[in-house]
Amino acid sequence: MHLLDWLIMLGTLLGIVAYGIWKTRNVNNVRSYLLGDKDLPWWTIGLSIMATQASAITFLSTPGQAYEDGMRFAQFYFGMPIAMVILAIFFLPIYYRLNVYTAYEYLEGRFDLKTRSLTAIFFLLQRGMAAGITIYAPAIILSSILEIPLLFTNLFIGVIVIVYTMLGGTKAVSVTQKQQMIVILTGMFAAAIILVFKLPKDVGFGDAVAVAGKMGKLNVVDFEFNLNERYNFWSGILGGTFLFLSYFGTDQSQVQRYLSGKSLSESRLGLLFNGLIKVPMQFLVLFVGILVFVFYQFVQPPLHFNQANVKVVESSEYAADYQALEAQHSEIYQLKETEIRNLITAINAEDEIAITSHQSTIQGLLDQDIQVRKEAKEVIKQANPDLETQDDDYVFISFVMKYLPIGMVGLILAVIFSAAMSSTASELNALATTTIVDLYRRSISPEQSDQHYLFMSKLMTVLWGILALSFAMVAPLADNLIEFVNIIGSLFYGTILGVFLVAFFMKQVNGRAVFWAAICGELMIVFIFWLTRFGYLDLAYLWLNLIGCILVMLYAGFFNFLNKKLG
Amino acid sequence: TWPRLYALVLFCHAIIIALFYLLTKMYS
Repeated sequence: MHLLDWLIMLGTLLGIVAYGIWKTRNVNNVRSYLLGDKDLPWWTIGLSIMATQASAITFLSTPGQAYEDGMRFAQFYFGMPIAMVILAIFFLPIYYRLNVYTAYEYLEGRFDLKTRSLTAIFFLLQRGMAAGITIYAPAIILSSILEIPLLFTNLFIGVIVIVYTMLGGTKAVSVTQKQQMIVILTGMFAAAIILVFKLPKDVGFGDAVAVAGKMGKLNVVDFEFNLNERYNFWSGILGGTFLFLSYFGTDQSQVQRYLSGKSLSESRLGLLFNGLIKVPMQFLVLFVGILVFVFYQFVQPPLHFNQANVKVVESSEYAADYQALEAQHSEIYQLKETEIRNLITAINAEDEIAITSHQSTIQGLLDQDIQVRKEAKEVIKQANPDLETQDDDYVFISFVMKYLPIGMVGLILAVIFSAAMSSTASELNALATTTIVDLYRRSISPEQSDQHYLFMSKLMTVLWGILALSFAMVAPLADNLIEFVNIIGSLFYGTILGVFLVAFFMKQVNGRAVFWAAICGELMIVFIFWLTRFGYLDLAYLWLNLIGCILVMLYAGFFNFLNKKLG
Repeated sequence: TWPRLYALVLFCHAIIIALFYLLTKMYS
């Protein structure tokens, strides 16, 4: 990497952190530390919410996903604006009226202490592990791309986040997120524009979109109702709405962002702003992946996108096998490029018969290429069985490193590090807040001084940070850890949302009924997950949120009825 | 004012989905 890229990357990242620390140098009481000074305007809240949700993996994996699978993933976010409106109407006024620090605090007033503690512990369990993955997932990719040890990339993300989150609390998180989000949006826009200019001279933007469409990559909306299809309109609108209601309404890492707003109106506007901007933003990130795909129809792509793996196989006894596959890949590419140029000519001539003919030839070549790439992964596995051969996450970043101009590489790396830091900062801040407010100050050590709780909040931020960093360090030793953490998230979300919806809409239900409803609902969700895991049931995981939520509400109603019957 | 704003957000979202659908249909 060029010296200028290093300077741009480090200058951007450290500049934002220094600004955050300087802006929050006067934070000296626990309320200010955990809630900011409640003075954020709507657009800062909106950007802060977006920065919390968009982790580094959003910008590494999503373009790769579009490259392999097209734009279907955009549907995952279709429920988001609906969830934002429901939150603005029902959740926010209650949080503001009761002046709470955390979402779970409200549950004690509505139900009882054990329900509050149960939901807080559910949150700490899932978010505590997820924070480790937020650091580890980009760290391993960046360590491979930058050719520096994983230990350094882990520490670089983890230590910087711990320092500024510990020093400035919630406000440091919000003011840095505003800057980080501006860097992220600028970087992705610039990448999209440069990509268009990188296309061959005789291939215009319209041709690029037409080629992507004819090759099946512009599949943004699918109205077919299919329960085991992960991304379609219905899973996005129904499953997605419940997932985002739960994530934005009951996950403290998000709740804390809008609780530090200047007023109820500013927080509502921040949520609505986020709801409207998020879908187009995801579209932009996916579209960058589509442009990379079209670019690689006119410039030969590597057979395997993770160059570290390629180096291993090329210095092993399987080098000859790999080279044979590379020759096949190259031959397919030459044929495909010729066919695609013919397809563009046919599209411009509006010759439907020729379009269909070229389309089916290209599809055949694409299928052959997929097979060759699959065989390449098997050869890599033979060279070293411990290597991770999924290379989707490397598609975008390897393109950036090889084809973007000097300066832009540094900016895109700043985007990825910024996204990792902004998500991790929110998580550590929320974990510390929930630990102190819902457990320590409420049940373990009440009646202490404000300065004591301020010190303990800072200490908890550091402890959760060290735990997340340790988790990121041991992650390479565990198989399928990322998948495990994601599953843990979707197992708890529905239940927690169910408890909140019972609190809001089933006024007659008491604490005892909802506590046992949450326990039974959670056990049922684990059982349903087990059925899908071992093939007894075919169900996309997005539906688990909806089912968990409905189960808790049904159980709560039933237990409440029993309570009354039995006196 | 707020209900009108909520309706506007959902209306804009519906327009965005309609545009996506148009993109899917036009280029498939």
